[in-house]
Order: sequence, then structure tokens, then C-alpha cells
Amino acid sequence: MSSQDHLKETDTEARFEFKKEEKSAFKSEKGLTEETVRVISEDKDEPEWMLERRLRALEQFQAMPMPTDWPEAPDLSEVDIDQIVPYIRPDIDVRGGVDDWTDLPDEIKDTFDKLGIPEAEKNALSGVGAQYESEIVYQNMQERWEEKGVVFCDMDKAVQEHEELVKEYFMTKAVPPSDNKFAALHGAIWSGGSFVYVPEDTTVEMPIQAYFRMNSEGMGQFEHTLIIAEEGSEVHYIEGCSAPKYSAFNLHSGGVEVFVGEDAHVQYSTVQNWSKNTYNLNTKRAIAEKGGRMEWISGSMGSKATMLYPSTILKGRGASDNHITIAFAGEGQDIDTGAKVYHNAPETKSTIESKSISKDGGRTNYRGLVHIADGAENSSTAVECDALMFDNESTSDTMPYMEINESKVDVAHEATVGKIGDEDIFYLQSRGLDDDDAKQMIVSGFIEPITEELPIEYAVELNRLVELEMEGSLG
Amino acid sequence: MSTKAIESLSEDTVRHIAEERDEPEWLLETRLNALEALETAELPDVIQTPGRRWTDLEALDFEALVDPLNQSDATERTAGDDEVVVAPFTEAFAEHGDVLEEHFGSVLDPEHNYLTALSVALFTTGTFVYVPEGVDVEDVKIRAEMNSRSLFSQTLVVAEESSSVTILESIESGSEAAASDIEGDRYFSNLVEVVGGENADVQFGSLQNLDDDTYTYSLKRGVTDTYATIDWIESNFGSKLTRSDVETELNGDGSESQIVGTFFGSEDQHFDVNARVWHQAEHTTADLVTRGVLDDVARSVYEGVQDVGRDAWNTSSYQRENTLMLSDDAEADASPKLIIHNHDTEASHSATVGQVDAEDLFYLESRSIDPKTARNMLVEGFFVPVLEEIAVDEFREDVEELVIERLQ
Repeated sequence: MSSQDHLKETDTEARFEFKKEEKSAFKSEKGLTEETVRVISEDKDEPEWMLERRLRALEQFQAMPMPTDWPEAPDLSEVDIDQIVPYIRPDIDVRGGVDDWTDLPDEIKDTFDKLGIPEAEKNALSGVGAQYESEIVYQNMQERWEEKGVVFCDMDKAVQEHEELVKEYFMTKAVPPSDNKFAALHGAIWSGGSFVYVPEDTTVEMPIQAYFRMNSEGMGQFEHTLIIAEEGSEVHYIEGCSAPKYSAFNLHSGGVEVFVGEDAHVQYSTVQNWSKNTYNLNTKRAIAEKGGRMEWISGSMGSKATMLYPSTILKGRGASDNHITIAFAGEGQDIDTGAKVYHNAPETKSTIESKSISKDGGRTNYRGLVHIADGAENSSTAVECDALMFDNESTSDTMPYMEINESKVDVAHEATVGKIGDEDIFYLQSRGLDDDDAKQMIVSGFIEPITEELPIEYAVELNRLVELEMEGSLG
Repeated sequence: MSTKAIESLSEDTVRHIAEERDEPEWLLETRLNALEALETAELPDVIQTPGRRWTDLEALDFEALVDPLNQSDATERTAGDDEVVVAPFTEAFAEHGDVLEEHFGSVLDPEHNYLTALSVALFTTGTFVYVPEGVDVEDVKIRAEMNSRSLFSQTLVVAEESSSVTILESIESGSEAAASDIEGDRYFSNLVEVVGGENADVQFGSLQNLDDDTYTYSLKRGVTDTYATIDWIESNFGSKLTRSDVETELNGDGSESQIVGTFFGSEDQHFDVNARVWHQAEHTTADLVTRGVLDDVARSVYEGVQDVGRDAWNTSSYQRENTLMLSDDAEADASPKLIIHNHDTEASHSATVGQVDAEDLFYLESRSIDPKTARNMLVEGFFVPVLEEIAVDEFREDVEELVIERLQ
């Protein structure tokens, strides 16, 4: 237990809410023009092909309409790209991140100290990347993984040092910019993020983590994560996100591409606690080869509006996918999240487990698509959605879509919505717990499927966030 | 929308239809308003996912399908009781004109979408069912044959306080039509409104078995008063393409609705079936059950919606959808949706797609039943849970017969 004392001691709310004075080495103009894109690319000293990709994505972004034809989609009318500062390079000496926390400017080091990142690194992680505004400021991985050929570096550095791999995989196969308007935006002005390469038959035993922090008001963060897991390898990647709250809106539009090789296993975990003025519009996609296994674990606690549907394309025979998502929407929040799975090969398997909690006028929605292609015989999918509601100001929607073009399949979808059981609360109260504690305990139990997938530090953190959301607002 | 404008349609067409039927002024006006609404109305919503539109209504050539002045049908109506009115509108205007005027279009806005507006502007057949307070009838039957290129039908059921009625409606292609001069595609449109008064109990069964040159659009909607029950049974066997929507608005406290659906698709049939319920009062209950079988290259699309409003305290709402695939080339799309705005709700839904269970088949074969018979027995068994919901024996037998026919 002693190793978790540091988590108990801290005041979680204060840990996320503090603001630092904005201090940057380079800051782009507000808005998005070809000039902005060229300036970003130049500041990063990128090869010509990357600039070309950015410009092509920009064209696509400008040509595409906002996604307004989705039923009951969150309101994005406030999201005006011309009000966003897309690129802020923090004021640090070493591009690509230092490998010692003490080399960072005090206010940045202090930020991550408060967030508990260096502490977690010591205890539970194989490697850590930390992004502040638009750039990775810290990057380190234990030597024993480096020796085995595992690469974990920031994306900008990967463009320079692993150019061939990046050129082949970057927004070409999994998430092309043409996929959706925000993927196109991301393709034009992406900055920072992680590059992970795990060689054949290598198992990275402890998770590696990236933490993304937005500090400035009105900025947009567009980090790109590219994970390539070769045949028979295994890796667990954890992503954490937060920002202090401002009155103007912030935009986070990350791109994640995961390539799961034959019989490889990748777990991608996200605990998102963006401030409640942040629009969180991400595109995450994995392609799994024969026998590969992809797991998406997502906890969406923060943001004003989230639209996030991690997707997996099961490309090779026997590939499998597992989604676990938890959404918690409080006052003023619209968490529209779910999953997308394409079964494109025989004997593929997917399970989707979605849990959502809505209260104080918040809205959660499970929006998911499972597609089984003709010829994907003996495939199976099971989708389960459970929703918990606290009051009649809140909304809980479930919108699954199933497209089945193959007969030799097993497809099941189930969903339930309900309120917290009075009997459960009564039972706990009869054991001497007060009403608030009883409800908190029931909620903790409700989200347990996700907490048990995370290392203990993160599970504690997630529970703490839930408690924070629940505090004082129960009646 | 200009792309959907039908050249041959004009105010004169509508006036001509109304005049021939000797209709009152208010109905002519409703029809003309509907005609005008065609200019701006949209086709019914269809589910779209990345790169796929589940049903392509845009592709229908209404210009060729709609022939408003040559509509023809043969409809047999039996009331089974003197106290209830079961008659074509034209026979009901004189005596029940005020009831018709009060309720026509009250449940289903004629201008709801392009296809409802088209239907209201042009309908020439249909039935008015009027069940006065406290009357209890079990055997209302409406059996219709379609004998023309296009046919628009409009049915209104008004069940007054504490009345009870069981209605069976069936539609098929007339033998004349199939043999004779009408070549090419046809279009059948069927709108049904049910007004469920306080403590009324309505079961409305519908059986569609039109030939495979026909496109069918059907929208049935009911509204419940306090303690009312509206149960629907929607069976679709025929047509090349069917778009069917069955909907209940639970507006009265303690009211209930059950929507049971069945379909059996073979060859290149396409079924787009939808069941929706809106809980808008306290203590309401809904149960949506749909079972369908697909053979050959048939395709089904299902959308179920359970919408629970802010004030719908103590709601119970359930939905199940099961599709059985008999062929490798069939395709089944499903989207069961929950929209919940009140936490005092018990709601669930489930959907499955699969094939005939291999173990069940093996068991029957081990009892020396040949594979084809064994499969057919299992398919018949698959429909049992929905057949059990049908109260009218005659209707249940019709459905069973059609299932067996399809399996031959």
C-alpha cells in the first residue's frame, strides 16, 4: 500500500485544475491557413513529403463539411478553427524531449510533478513521454527495452530518425485524412505525440505512457500516435490527458494509428480528463493481422463534448478485438463515444463492453458500428451496453448499428438502462454507510471492468476522478 | 424537392379524386395542403453509416410508379358486430363526418414526410373503424386486393373510452393485376392511424403479401390515452421492397403498447422495418419484438427506437430483435436504439443475428429427420414466440401458412 500513499495524499482536483503562465518559444497565429501549415512544418524542419501530406490534408479539411448529419450528435457549432491557436512550442532547449525531469524549466516540471507522472514512471512504467502544448518535452524509456530494439520516441523525432517507417505508415493505411473532417484537420497541423515500435517476439512487460497537457487558453492540441507491433510482440500503451479550465474553448483532435502484427497483442488505454471547455474529437484506429489482438480501454471523464469511436479492422484470420469504454457525463457534458469494428476475415472475434453514467444534465451516448463482411465466416461479436442514470435532467442514449453480410456468424447485442437500485443503497446503508458513500461504492463497482484492466496507480486515479465527479452532487 | 416532383400530379388530379368520392371540404383542403407540402417534404429518414445507405428510397422512380387516377382495389370488410362501424370513408361521411374530421390526421401529420403527403393527397381506398364507448368487438377484418399500378390507402381507427377491438388487415395483389396489362413496377402506400381512448384496447394486425413487382410504403401510428393499450402485429412477406414503420406514442398515464413484427425474405426482397415507441407519460410499458428470416439474397434493415421523455416516470421498455439467416448471401442490418431522458426507467434491448443452430439440426437429424425437414421445423419454431402474440386464430394460421409456403 505504501507505494500508493502519494496518490492518497494529493488533492486530485487541484492536480488537474492549476494553470501555468503561458510561456512559449514559438506560437503560431490563430486560425488555419496554408501559411500556418508551412510555418509549423518549417519550425519542425520536416522533410518535403511531410509538408506535402500536410498541405493535401489541409485541402481535404477545407473541402469537407462539418459532420451535421449524425443523429443526435453533440453540438459543435462553437468549434471555429479560426479561433484556435494550433501550434505552441514550449520554451525548452532540447527538441524531442529531455530524458531527465530536472532538465525541464521549473514550471513545466512542476506541472508534471503535480500530475504525478515522474512518480508513476518510477513505480509502474517502462517508459514515459510527456507533451506540453504542442511538443513532447520529456521522453525516456528504460534501457533494457532500448537494448531489445524497442523504440519509444516523440513523433517529430520519428519523422527524422525513422523516416521510412513513418513514411509508410503515417496516415496512409489506418487513418487517411479523408476519413473525416477532424482527421483532415489533424493531418494538416499535427504536432507531437508518440512513435512506438516493438520488434518481433518482444514483450514489453510494463506499460509505457504518454501524458498530454494543454496549458494555454484557446489552443488546439493535435498529437499523433503511431504504434507498430511486429509479429508476436506485446505492448501496453497508456495515454493520459488533462487541461485547466478556461472560458474560451480548447480543441483536442488527436490521431492514433495502431498496427497489430501477426499474433501480436496491443492494449491501448486512455484516461481522458480534459477540462470542461475542451472539445475532444479524436480518430483512433487499429488494423489487426492474422491472430493479432487489439484492446481499447477508454475512460472518458472530462471534456465539454467528446466524439470518440476507437475502431479496429480485423484484417487477418483469427484476429480479435476487445473494447471496454466508460463514459461519465456531468453537468454540461456531452460524451458521445463508442466503438467501430470491421470483421473482414474469417474466425474474427470482437467484444464491446460499454458503461456509462450520466448525471446533473449530462448526456452519454453509446454509438457503435459492427460490420461483418461477406466471407468472414465463423466470426462472432458481442456488444453489451449498460447505462446508469442519476436524475431526469440527464440523458442516456444507445445507438448501435450492426451490418451483417455473412450467415455463419454469431451476433449479439444487449443494452440496459436503469437507475441505481434502491435496494442496493438500502443494503449498504444498513451496513452503516451514508447515502453518498453507498452511491459512490455502487458506481465504483459499476466501472470495475475498466479499472481492473489498468495498473493499480491508474485504477486508483480513475476511481478518484469518479469520486470527484460524484462529490456533493448526490441527493 | 424538385428531383422528386411528379409531373402528372396537379391540383386538378387531387380535386378530381375528392370530387369523385364526394368528399367534404375539410378533406379536400387537407389533401391540397399535402400536395403543396410535397415541394418541401423529405423522404423518410434512412440509416446511413460510413459508405453505406441501408435503404435507397431515392432510387424509386415515383414518376413511373404513381398513376393516381387509375387506382383500383377490391376490399372486403367485415365488422362482426352491429355496434361498430367498419366502412370506407365515402360511406362514413354522412353519419360520422364529425368523428372523421376530428381525428383524421390527428395521430399522423399528413405532412410528416414526402411519402405520407403523397399518400394523403391521393388516397382512394381505406377504412374507417369506429368503436363507440364500451363496445367490445373481436372480428373486424379488412381484406384488400390491389388491382392497379399504384394504390394509396388510408385507415383511421377510433376506439372510444373502455372499448375493445381486434382488427385484421391484409393486402395482396389481385389475380387480375398479376395476369393482365400492368407490367413493370407497382407502388402500394398504406397509412394507418389509431386513436386509443381512455382504457381502450386495440389490437391491429396487418399482413402484407403483395407480389414481387410491388414497392410498399406503410406507416402505422397510434396514440394512447390513459390506461389505453395499442398492440400491433406487423407481418411482411411480399413486395420487392418494403418500408414499414410501426409507432406508438404513449401519451396517457399507465398506457401500454406492444409491437410485434415478422418478416420472411427470399430472392432479392428488401425489408426496411422500423418499430418506435415514445414514452411521454407516467407508468407506461412498451414491448417491441421482431423476428425475421432471410433466404437467398434477401436483405433486412431494422431500426427500433425506445424514446423515454423527461416526464415519463416509472417507465418499462423492452425490445428484442432476432434475425435468422438461411443463406450465405443474405444480409441483415440492425440498429436498436435507446433514447432515455428519465432515470426512473427500466429499459433494455437486445438484437441477434445467426443461423440455424447446428446442434439443434444435428439432434433432429439423429432422430432420422432429413436435413431439409429438420431445418424447416426449426424455422417454424423460430417464429413461435411471435405467433403466440397473435390473438386472432385466423391471422395466426395465415402467417403460419405463409411461412410454410416460403420454406417449400
